[in-house]
Amino acid sequence: MNDAAPRPGPKVSPFVLEIVRNALDAIADELALIIMRTAYSSIVRDAMDYSTAICDADGSTLAQGLTTPLHLGSFFDAMQNLRRTQKGRVREGDLFIFNDPYLAGGQHLPDIYVIRPIFVGGSLEGWATTVAHHNDVGGIVPGSNSIGSVDIFQEGLRLPVLKLHDQGRENPAIYDIIAANVRVPDKVIGDLKAQVAACTVGEREFRVMVARFGRDTVRACFAELHDYAERLARAEFAEIPDGTYRFANTIDGLGASPEPIPFQVAVTVRGSAIHVDWTGTSPQVRAGINAPIPFTRAAVYAALRSVLASDVPNCEGFTRPITIVAPPGTIANPLPPAACGARGVTGFRMMDCMFGALAQAVPSRVAADGSGGSTLPSISGVHRGKTFVFVETIMGTWGATATHDGQEGVAHMGANQSNVPVELIEAEYPLRIEQYAMVSDSGGAGRHRGGLAMVRDFRILADDVSLTVRSDKRRFPPFGLHGGGSGSPSISIINPGPEQRILPVLTMEPTTLRRGDLFRHVIAGGGGYGPARERDPGLVRDDVVLGKVTIAQARDVYRVVLTEMAGGIAIDEAATRILRADAS
Amino acid sequence: MVDPSCPTRKLRIAADIGGTFTDIALMRDDGGVITRKAASTPDDYARGVVRGIRELMAAQGLPLSAIGDVLHGCTIATNTILERKGARTALITTRGFRDVLEFRRIRVPRLYDPLYVKPAPLVPRNLRLEVTERLDATGSVVQPLDEADVAGTIAVLEREAVEAVAVCFLHAYANAAHEQRVGDLLRARFPEMFVTLSSDILPEIREYERTSTAVINAYIGPIVSRYVRALDAALHDAGIDGRLLMMQSSGGILDAARVAEVPARIIECGPAAGVIGAMRQAGFCGERNVITLDMGGTTAKASLIENGAITRTDEYEVAGGISLSSRLVKGGGCALKLPVIDISEVGAGGGSIVWFDRGGALKVGPRSAGATPGPACYDAGGSEATVTDANVVLGFINPTALAGGTMPIRADLSHDITRTRVAEPLGLGLHEAAWSVHAVASANMMRAVKAVSTYRGRNPAEFSLMAFGGNGGIFAVELARQLQIRRIVVPPGAGVFSAIGLGLADIAFGRARAVLTRTDRIDAAALNTSLRTMETDVVGTLGSAEAQVRRTAMMRYAGQAFELSVPLPDHDLGLGDLAALPRAFDAEHERNYGHVLADAEGVEIIAVEVTATAVVAPMKPPWLPVTAASGQPDRHAFFGPEIGTCETPVVHRRNLDTQAAAGPIIIEEYEGTTIVPPDARVRLDAQDDIVIELAA
Repeated sequence: MNDAAPRPGPKVSPFVLEIVRNALDAIADELALIIMRTAYSSIVRDAMDYSTAICDADGSTLAQGLTTPLHLGSFFDAMQNLRRTQKGRVREGDLFIFNDPYLAGGQHLPDIYVIRPIFVGGSLEGWATTVAHHNDVGGIVPGSNSIGSVDIFQEGLRLPVLKLHDQGRENPAIYDIIAANVRVPDKVIGDLKAQVAACTVGEREFRVMVARFGRDTVRACFAELHDYAERLARAEFAEIPDGTYRFANTIDGLGASPEPIPFQVAVTVRGSAIHVDWTGTSPQVRAGINAPIPFTRAAVYAALRSVLASDVPNCEGFTRPITIVAPPGTIANPLPPAACGARGVTGFRMMDCMFGALAQAVPSRVAADGSGGSTLPSISGVHRGKTFVFVETIMGTWGATATHDGQEGVAHMGANQSNVPVELIEAEYPLRIEQYAMVSDSGGAGRHRGGLAMVRDFRILADDVSLTVRSDKRRFPPFGLHGGGSGSPSISIINPGPEQRILPVLTMEPTTLRRGDLFRHVIAGGGGYGPARERDPGLVRDDVVLGKVTIAQARDVYRVVLTEMAGGIAIDEAATRILRADAS
Repeated sequence: MVDPSCPTRKLRIAADIGGTFTDIALMRDDGGVITRKAASTPDDYARGVVRGIRELMAAQGLPLSAIGDVLHGCTIATNTILERKGARTALITTRGFRDVLEFRRIRVPRLYDPLYVKPAPLVPRNLRLEVTERLDATGSVVQPLDEADVAGTIAVLEREAVEAVAVCFLHAYANAAHEQRVGDLLRARFPEMFVTLSSDILPEIREYERTSTAVINAYIGPIVSRYVRALDAALHDAGIDGRLLMMQSSGGILDAARVAEVPARIIECGPAAGVIGAMRQAGFCGERNVITLDMGGTTAKASLIENGAITRTDEYEVAGGISLSSRLVKGGGCALKLPVIDISEVGAGGGSIVWFDRGGALKVGPRSAGATPGPACYDAGGSEATVTDANVVLGFINPTALAGGTMPIRADLSHDITRTRVAEPLGLGLHEAAWSVHAVASANMMRAVKAVSTYRGRNPAEFSLMAFGGNGGIFAVELARQLQIRRIVVPPGAGVFSAIGLGLADIAFGRARAVLTRTDRIDAAALNTSLRTMETDVVGTLGSAEAQVRRTAMMRYAGQAFELSVPLPDHDLGLGDLAALPRAFDAEHERNYGHVLADAEGVEIIAVEVTATAVVAPMKPPWLPVTAASGQPDRHAFFGPEIGTCETPVVHRRNLDTQAAAGPIIIEEYEGTTIVPPDARVRLDAQDDIVIELAA
């Protein structure tokens, strides 16, 4: 275990360090903004499923643009691999591209890295790095995130580390190969160009920074920044009580007859160091939800970062006190050629497991379980003679905390993504959204109530449409904490009513829908915190007024008796006292 | 002085209400500006305004009847939302969609924070009422409006004593008929009700942003209307019979009665007035490209003036906290998609508190000591080191009194607190420690400037810095150095610059309409009719015959999500004009993002906007008549570890010459202090601006 603190005593003055840190953050954010504003695909520009970073000459991340939290630390393996495989071959004006998790330290094939070394006065001083989730990289399903893939060869185009530009000269063959292998070349090439533009600006701004502070000062600041982040993280970790905190959780399983997929995490806190062990977690599966180790690491970093009170810089020093074990051959560290296109669901679930363990260590800093990662419906077909692929991320609701009810209409902690406006969907696709609303009585009961589930209805306005759904948390819905109840389970239904058909949580093959069919998805509700009968009756009444809880649930679960009157809803204090005193 | 007996022309007077002070500025015909600070009166702001005007006019020996236009900026709209003191508001929307307002766009403003709590929506769920109706994206009726449902909602409005209603139906930007019918039914039943239709205030696609904008307007509507009526009446009672004009967030002023109909347009009017003042002043002194820095007690705000014009944004959130310079993290406030001057803000002001985080890093702000207790030197119990205390230690701020001698301070308290709270923990000398605070505060401000410049593809080195606000002149040089800016301008009246900006603003009003079509598929005849209708509308609203009209198109590459604004010709668009638009967009894209998409699938027009402007402001640069320029003794000032301490002359703006003088010089005025370090040169230009030039 690694608990040796760095030597105290900064080598550069704290104010110069703070100024350089500001400059680095500003550059990383600027790269992220350039990609957001020039990208083509909605997954990049609306869902912001991409990240940018500035690294030092060793490839260690110094600052990361704040976009997708689950990308924290995502450049570590990629940069280590790049430095190793390209030793002696990195030249000014080069631009590297890759995506493969096994050949290049990537995450899954849709995440394409574009990385530029930054030379100042002939010597390598840093790297401008970007990674973006592309709309499609080929493979057996549109979107390249098939749950049903059995190995990575079915998932699309694999790119080892290649030079997209070689000493300033573009390599058109790579663009041509990519364009020939993806379903939507305009969007993919457009997004790649956005990444290239960001790297170019990163190089320019980095040079301005070096010119202003001087090479030696900047180098010293980089080293100190890592030490500083480590000190900050250690100071916080040291306050968490020592011990081993275990948590087990389960993904429903794959397809029509799902077998549960268990997760097991042990978080050991010793002094200022943290060790996270995934031993006991399911073996890798013959489906696209395996999480390559870089993604497992990112899930651990993001969860730990979330329980720190300090504003820790997104630099590699923060990760130094953290060690991670995930046995090879598990879903958390798959061996090639395991498929991993839809590994998002696994990463989100690993973060939720981390929170389950941390809830025992720092109960006031963690919420009960939420709806989990995004539900990813993929609806494709032909409309007015053109192929369309509609994908969006449906999120989300959170569990309750020690101090307040679960938040509704919020992204998962791992992916700060947006919804897609209903009006934009209807203007572009043969779909009509008929409902987008909260579901009453769906929040886990508790002293603090879990956030309500939300429902989204899609009316299909074209013939022979194909639907796949990646969702989570049906048989094993979001857990409550400290006596709080579970949230309601998620569900996907075709044509709700007497003729309805229920879809699997993780569909292994597409379902065909006809014009006029209705696809309904309901995400899970958030878990509650503390016993329901300790909830303030006034809050229960407010929930009923707002339509979040019914009078029946108020009585049966919260044990608060409410009566509807002309002037509103009143608490029957006496009846409530009697009902709450009843131990049964 | 104007002869009161024969006021050939009525005078303009500006009143800008801030949290503590109401700044009044009287604009004389010769450009002379008389200013006065009066205490704000939050229980009834109109009283403070009228009192300030009375005092100023009395001091000048002028009757109130000499006043023509009253130009006004206030914080009432923003505060109503921040303090949640708006009208009891309901929302009527399409069945199945009442939670759109609460879901927002799902993204949260803070990453890695499981304890984040979303602000409550302005309309609670039980007042978000659904009616059966449905349009599709082309505006065709899928399901007709169910008037029985509307009758049901009217009963609820009555029972719940609702004062204001926003109506927002899906796709109402494409067909307003259902919203208009509901509006008619509401107005017939409740003639006094404040009703906002989303298709009136923001006929643009994206349901959350349109709903939120309509809700904000309804929520503040009754409060702003009452306020405007009360102020108008108070001014009239005082014998001022000119027009009352108010600043909009977009930087144009507008008749107060019109503002009362669209109050959401004045949300950010205070900072906007300062930027407008800077734009005008920059024009007077021949600067085309300027970055503005408005630094007060708690925040620093930056904005960009390019080719003599302000820059606007419509990605704005009300009450989302300080709008941190990074635009990546959003979702903290209520979306308001109306044009706002693009202003970026950071929590760095004179009162910002100095602290160390757990990794030992020196931090400045965003927490502020405010006006009370204020910095330690105020001797009002302030027990934490602030930026102002550091500036006292450095010798930048007068050691005995602020505000031209009117507010005594104790420098020894600044020294003590900076020594114990900053120097000793850092193991630095007192001056070096204070310098660290100064430099870190500047670095924070740099983020705000970058957000409006480099983040939008502009290089700050190609701009001048115009600094105002009480602390702008103290930080301007250090900030400029960090951004490689060479010239700094500190305008006259920098401490009351928002009031001066009000006096220099034009009357303006604009409207936008959704188009959402590729340039090569546009029905030119329909677009031209639409533009002409909008033009008639905005010119009519302006109420001025000499309106100048500007047309612009919001455009993007087909498939992108973010638009850029491209000017349109002021005549009917022909085929040639439409064909030229994609190239004009390419040029704008290149300028913002550094590249053009040669293989794009065409260029789309998302919306068109028509703005009418009428020039009413005096065309002479403002200058401040001086009553007395008191001499000050030289003092020691510390200009960083490389330069060290220098004996520095302290002068008044009037003592500067048009010939550049070498620093170090400190310029002290009633409105604020300006620092010129030894390696810079300073002069006064023809418009009374302090101009500082830095060596390359």
